[in-house]
Amino acid sequence: MVLTWLTTVNLELSFQSVIWGFGDIIDYSKQYLSPNFSEFLKYVKLMGQTLAIALWGTVLSLIVSLILSPLAAKNISPHPIIYQIVRELLNFLRAIPDLVLALIFVSALGLGPLPGLLALGLHTSGFLGKFFAESMERVKPGIYEALKATGASFFQIAMFAAWPSILQEVAGYTLYIFDRNVRVATILGLVGAGGIGLELSATFGFFRYDQASALILIIMITIIVIDYLSIWLRKRIS
Amino acid sequence: MSGTDPIFELKHVAKRFGKSRVLANINLQILAGERVALVGPSGAGKSTLLGLLNGTQLPSQGEVWVFGRNLARLSPSQLRQVQRRIGTIYQQLHLVDNLRVIHNLNAGHLGRWSLFKAVVSLFFPLEVETAAQALFKVGIPEKLYERTDQLSGGQKQRVALARVLVQNPIVILADEPISSLDLGRSREIMDLLRDMSEQTGQTLIISLHAIELALSHCQRIIGLRQGRILFDVPAPEVLPEMVEALYRIENARTEPIQKI
Ligand SMILES: Nc1ncnc2c1ncn2[C@@H]1O[C@H](COP(=O)(O)OP(=O)(O)OP(=O)(O)O)[C@@H](O)[C@H]1O
Ligand SMILES: [Mg+2]
Repeated sequence: MVLTWLTTVNLELSFQSVIWGFGDIIDYSKQYLSPNFSEFLKYVKLMGQTLAIALWGTVLSLIVSLILSPLAAKNISPHPIIYQIVRELLNFLRAIPDLVLALIFVSALGLGPLPGLLALGLHTSGFLGKFFAESMERVKPGIYEALKATGASFFQIAMFAAWPSILQEVAGYTLYIFDRNVRVATILGLVGAGGIGLELSATFGFFRYDQASALILIIMITIIVIDYLSIWLRKRIS
Repeated sequence: MSGTDPIFELKHVAKRFGKSRVLANINLQILAGERVALVGPSGAGKSTLLGLLNGTQLPSQGEVWVFGRNLARLSPSQLRQVQRRIGTIYQQLHLVDNLRVIHNLNAGHLGRWSLFKAVVSLFFPLEVETAAQALFKVGIPEKLYERTDQLSGGQKQRVALARVLVQNPIVILADEPISSLDLGRSREIMDLLRDMSEQTGQTLIISLHAIELALSHCQRIIGLRQGRILFDVPAPEVLPEMVEALYRIENARTEPIQKI
């Protein structure tokens, strides 16, 4: 009891204002019921930009992990020290939230899609790099040994044995990360890193809840469609 | 290296895995052009011995000399130089299932190819003619562009052999290269290996369970039992008693390796 009272005092809330505010909340909610699609084309374009950020971010992390994963796979890595360093690097990339990375890149490079793409790409390199490295560690050791025995170099073994052996996992993980990147890319716009999120935060700034509602609908539908697409694709692969 | 120098020389070689001794005091010389069969019961150490010869394993004791060089003394790149001249057909084949046959065959080139060439070839297969010829020799020319996991066990075994043909090494180490082939096919593959070594002077070391094929196709037979060389004689001198002793199952100690 005392605690409840204390918290309400601290937040300078009163039960009265909550009850009076109730009417406002209904008023407020009503505006969402009539989404305003007058700028539909612009929204779709922005959604497209968000998708592009997610897509190229995923491509960037694929390229980064193409090089880093074999180095971070214990059984083929050319040297234990290289293995350790790359592992730590991947851990580090996974540890910084992409929102933080986006803020850093926005302040360095200015507003726009590029900082968003870089933030997503680097952060998810940490995931893909680690997933792929672990898949490579599960490949039968003899496959690597057989190539090594012909005098193949480390990168040749990576290209001829490691990557081909984990193709199914690569496809699965990449789709999963793309899916995730689409969601995160909408949020990244809020800090100015391009795409539909920036527009969304602007509509809130101008109290245009009807427009916000339209934007949210577009985002939700896109994410649901992509979700189903990637489930379908993943089923086809396995 | 003169013609009479041994290709392989093992001096007092022992190999342990943890506490189990798999090979003990192996002394061996193999000359250029010899066809040697390695026979012995399961667990005798045949695969381990082949692993020492191609440098993928190092001995726990003693020295392994290949082409006149002590493998333990070589830098990684020197070791690769030696290894590209040794072709190995593994007992478990170790092909990459997701790749098409052509790429598994072209893996035989890797010791000579640059990284760039290797990567290009994964997308636009290079030296297709060489690969096709090798596949023709092992009797499955139509499988060149098939995915490797679609092949039967016997077909995979022949792809593994063709990969070594593509590599075209000075020495071929074959670890039970006919274990999943029927008798007719086995004879065919053994004929192919023998003819190759006769025509090109390639040295051949084959581990086999089929003792008759060993006797008919190889000049020298090495019997390995519990990590030791029981006999090492020319094929015509192998007696039935020797074979019997090699494969005899002891009542007291049926374990294939000695624990110490
Ligand atoms: N990497 C390893 N770690 C531990 N033990 C091993 C290893 N490789 C081989 N061994 C052991 O060494 C012994 C000899 O194995 P090896 O494969 O050389 O026998 P083999 O003569 O080739 O037998 P097979 O005819 O069944 O192929 C076996 O008891 C095996 O368990
Ligand atoms: Mg074996």
